[in-house]
Amino acid sequence: MIHSLFLVNASGDIFLEKHWKSVVSRSVCDYFFEAQERATEPENVPPVIPTPHHYLISVLRHRIYFVAVIQSEVPPLFVIEFLHRVVDTFQDYFGVCTEAAIKDNVVVVYELLEEMLDNGFPLATESNILKELIKPPTILRTMVNTITGSTITAEIQGVIDACVKLTGMPDLTLSFMNPRLLDDVSFHPCVRFKRWEAERILSFIPPDGNFRLLSYHVSSQNLVAIPVYVKHNITFREGSSQGRFDLTLGPKQTMGKAVESVLVSSQLPRGVLNANLNPSQGTYTFDPVTKMLSWDVGKINPQKLPSLKGTMSLQAGASKPDENPTINIQLKIQQMAISGLKVNRLDMYGEKYKPFKGIKYMTKAGKFQVRT
Amino acid sequence: MPYLGGDDAVRELRRALSNPNVQSDPLRYRNTILKVIRSMSQGVDVSGLFSEMVKACATVDIVQKKLVYVFLCSYAALNPELSLLVINTLRKDCQDPNPMVPHHTRYPPLVEYVEQPLTAGLRDRAACVRRVAILGWAKLYNLQPTSEIDASVVNELYSLLRDPDPVVIVNCLRALEEILKEEGGVAINKPITHHLLNRLKECDVWGQCDILRVLQRYKPQSDDELFDILSLLDASLVSPHPPVMAATLSLFLHLCPDLPAVSQAALERVRGPLLAACGSASREMRFTALCHIQLLLRSLPGLMGAHYKRFFCGYAEPAYIKQRKMQVLVELVNDENVVMLLDELKGYCTDVNADTAQAAISAIGRIGRSYSDRCLEILTGLLGLKQDHITSAVVQTMRDLVWVCPQCSDTVCVALEGCEETLQDSQGRQALLWLLGVYGERVSSAPYTLEVFIDGVRSEASLGVKMELLTTAMRLFLCRPAETQDMLGRLLHYCIEEETDMCVRDQALLYYRLLHCGIEETRKVLHGPRSDPSLGVLIGRPAEPISQWASSFNTLEPLRQVAVETESVSRGSPEHVTTDLSVTLSGCRVHDVRSGDLSPSPALSPEEFERLWLQRQEDFVRLEERVRCPAVPHCSPQSLQAAMQLLNIQTLAFTPPHALPWRVYLYTHTQHTHSEDTLCRTLILGELLLKVTLQQQPRDDEALRGFLSILTSVLHTLTPESE
Repeated sequence: MIHSLFLVNASGDIFLEKHWKSVVSRSVCDYFFEAQERATEPENVPPVIPTPHHYLISVLRHRIYFVAVIQSEVPPLFVIEFLHRVVDTFQDYFGVCTEAAIKDNVVVVYELLEEMLDNGFPLATESNILKELIKPPTILRTMVNTITGSTITAEIQGVIDACVKLTGMPDLTLSFMNPRLLDDVSFHPCVRFKRWEAERILSFIPPDGNFRLLSYHVSSQNLVAIPVYVKHNITFREGSSQGRFDLTLGPKQTMGKAVESVLVSSQLPRGVLNANLNPSQGTYTFDPVTKMLSWDVGKINPQKLPSLKGTMSLQAGASKPDENPTINIQLKIQQMAISGLKVNRLDMYGEKYKPFKGIKYMTKAGKFQVRT
Repeated sequence: MPYLGGDDAVRELRRALSNPNVQSDPLRYRNTILKVIRSMSQGVDVSGLFSEMVKACATVDIVQKKLVYVFLCSYAALNPELSLLVINTLRKDCQDPNPMVPHHTRYPPLVEYVEQPLTAGLRDRAACVRRVAILGWAKLYNLQPTSEIDASVVNELYSLLRDPDPVVIVNCLRALEEILKEEGGVAINKPITHHLLNRLKECDVWGQCDILRVLQRYKPQSDDELFDILSLLDASLVSPHPPVMAATLSLFLHLCPDLPAVSQAALERVRGPLLAACGSASREMRFTALCHIQLLLRSLPGLMGAHYKRFFCGYAEPAYIKQRKMQVLVELVNDENVVMLLDELKGYCTDVNADTAQAAISAIGRIGRSYSDRCLEILTGLLGLKQDHITSAVVQTMRDLVWVCPQCSDTVCVALEGCEETLQDSQGRQALLWLLGVYGERVSSAPYTLEVFIDGVRSEASLGVKMELLTTAMRLFLCRPAETQDMLGRLLHYCIEEETDMCVRDQALLYYRLLHCGIEETRKVLHGPRSDPSLGVLIGRPAEPISQWASSFNTLEPLRQVAVETESVSRGSPEHVTTDLSVTLSGCRVHDVRSGDLSPSPALSPEEFERLWLQRQEDFVRLEERVRCPAVPHCSPQSLQAAMQLLNIQTLAFTPPHALPWRVYLYTHTQHTHSEDTLCRTLILGELLLKVTLQQQPRDDEALRGFLSILTSVLHTLTPESE
């Protein structure tokens, strides 16, 4: 039924292709590009384009054309609805459906497409079934391969702090959507360990007030999704007393949540006398004694990425510094746990009244270093 | 766009995959495999890594295994000899106690090696394994369609149609459809039909669509059974999922072709869901729904009458939707809503998109055939805007309109004054010239306008304009000789002496020689065809029987016609061009029926023809065939008629050019010597539309085929004449 799928961006580049039967050459999309050129507006590309051997049926969403290649007569509503389902699934998995998100998660995209169609026929398209088969990427699966290179190591240390103000002897059970994430945990003494072992449920009678219910550790065995990326270009030239400094930050895989309280610091080489930089947002300071550069970025706006650019002046006559500065980044993301851990429900037994319940997720950078 | 540097990337990946250090580190190994998949998604040909990837298959990491099988399924067909390497792992995986492992293998088509795991897969306890194993057979068959698929497998697949898992059932249907393609697909009998219908509700949207499509082949044995089936399907007919709704309606139309009342009731029932789909958030869905509504309107013109406001265009809608909506609006016009509709269409005439604006103007022109005064008022008003593309479209629309409604010509003649200044494109100028030629005596400034054209003929680039200019100058000369004689002389001189294009030069020479023959001869030739108001009877589109379009419902057909219609923008003057008759020769076998076997006598009167045409059904054999010439026969109805007469086919009636659908009615008698001496005479009635519909009495298939082949070859020979 559906032979192949091509994803085309607004400027007419194919950035992903998937074939379910044999491989169809990209040149079949030339007919689509012709129509794209003729259309004055991106949405004016007709949804069905006949070619000598195939039909191209496309939907346009989020400025991406999803072009299905069809070899025989099909019900058009069927294909169009299916393509929309594909887009909905991507959105469900990655929070947003953009070219960047699809490219970042290309392997998950491939797995999804393989699961959604077999031999060109729809197989599993329901969100809950798919999520059983393929875990969404935030759960430690995203492969980090940023422009600046690969992640050397990353891990997550998390805690669950509780604030309980309940009268009497409430017996609480807390369950997670995805308890299997937690492989290295330490509990508050009130937690019944047997229950956790058997059912992966936290069952406990809480002490009053604030306490740390659980701390956990997610190791780098499964790579951790890094919420921001750094593009940098820090160079010193031999024989010149000038150096260039160029740094841009951008968010990624934050499920649409804002990255806040971003603070960048970097220990510049000894030879640097002063830095004359220009931040696109926030303020920066350079301490000439400790050679510490710090830049208070604040919130990252994905539409306008923060950058810090300018020159560094070096001691006259000194040779080119041979060490590369490391960049440390502090950040916070509200309403999201980068591990993907999610609380399913909290129930109370043993008392008659109805408790007030609430949960707050937060991600904070621990020690986030970028080598240059 | 070839991926540059693909070779290097593949070489690098091969090195990494075969590096023992990488192989011993699971994380790095898996990362390298991810890179292979990533390259695949970029369109790099990584089939060269087959043998390296085969080794990566032997792993406990289920994600890695899955990705390797994704790779193997894509390239197994290209590397049959290397497939042997993977078969042991595949066999082991297929016996894995965790059903997810065989599920993820997807049974790459590895020819004979995979048959045994596939057979086991069909009997697996886990539904997810059975699902993919079934399609595995279809893949295997696709790879070598010549080889016989074991009858026992087919039987096993048939028995799996009764599986408890709905996806297994649907996949079985899909696989059997592919495997038994030669035999016409899966055999549908009464028990299977009823079983599938009962399980329909359990399937997902996609499965329901496929089941409904396969069931189209079923013929109920009795009326009771038919009505039982229809009442089972009633709920799906108003399904909130447009694909299911469309598939159900299509099945309805296939099940009861002989019960027009039932089909009609079904059409009325889907009105709500179809209108809802027209308001869907997805523009592609809206578009498809609109196209299907157009089909329904062919049989039930009144179906959407009350809902005409649903087809008003939104500001930000894509051009292809707006143009479709306008086509629907033209169909829905009536005495009550005409004012409002025209007001709405008037708003679209100034759309930023030139195509949309022109479509709106020609839609007004179409409505003008029934409500000419109001429309002409709007069209004349639009000329006041002095916009190049609008003026051009208006002049073309007026040209088409006066051909059908000659009574409009007075208003048009007044409106034409002064619009030559705004006209830029050749289509518009051609239309203006044609109008000047035909109504020259009534447009006072016609000679002056023509003079401007003639003075500029040296810099004229368009061939069409030059040809039209010659004809116009000649026509104007006939009715206003004193004013035109001098400029006609100059034009002919230029065209004969200096013009480099042979067509123009020949045309000029023809006219020059024609003038030598005398003015009466010239008049006879040039005042050829005038529009015939008597053909107006055929304008109002009669309601077609549902069976005309039932087979194209829920296919790509109704969507495709747009492409034909929107491309037909380039048109010439009405007497030269009939509307797009897109006809091809599709596999028409040539029989040795010569035109000598046909005869137009005894003559058939139009009334007689109509009576015979409408009585049809019982004693007439009916044949519909799509015949399509890539380029439309750019010939006048007269030349078509002449060509047909040459072959003893009598044409009886034409619609006016530009009427949609353009059609011709024709008839002939065949005499055909069958075996030795039995002479068979049959009468063939034909309608030439986008397809040819023939009726014959009495039945004689061979004669009918022969006639069709003659007809198509006539249409074909007419095509290149105009090019």
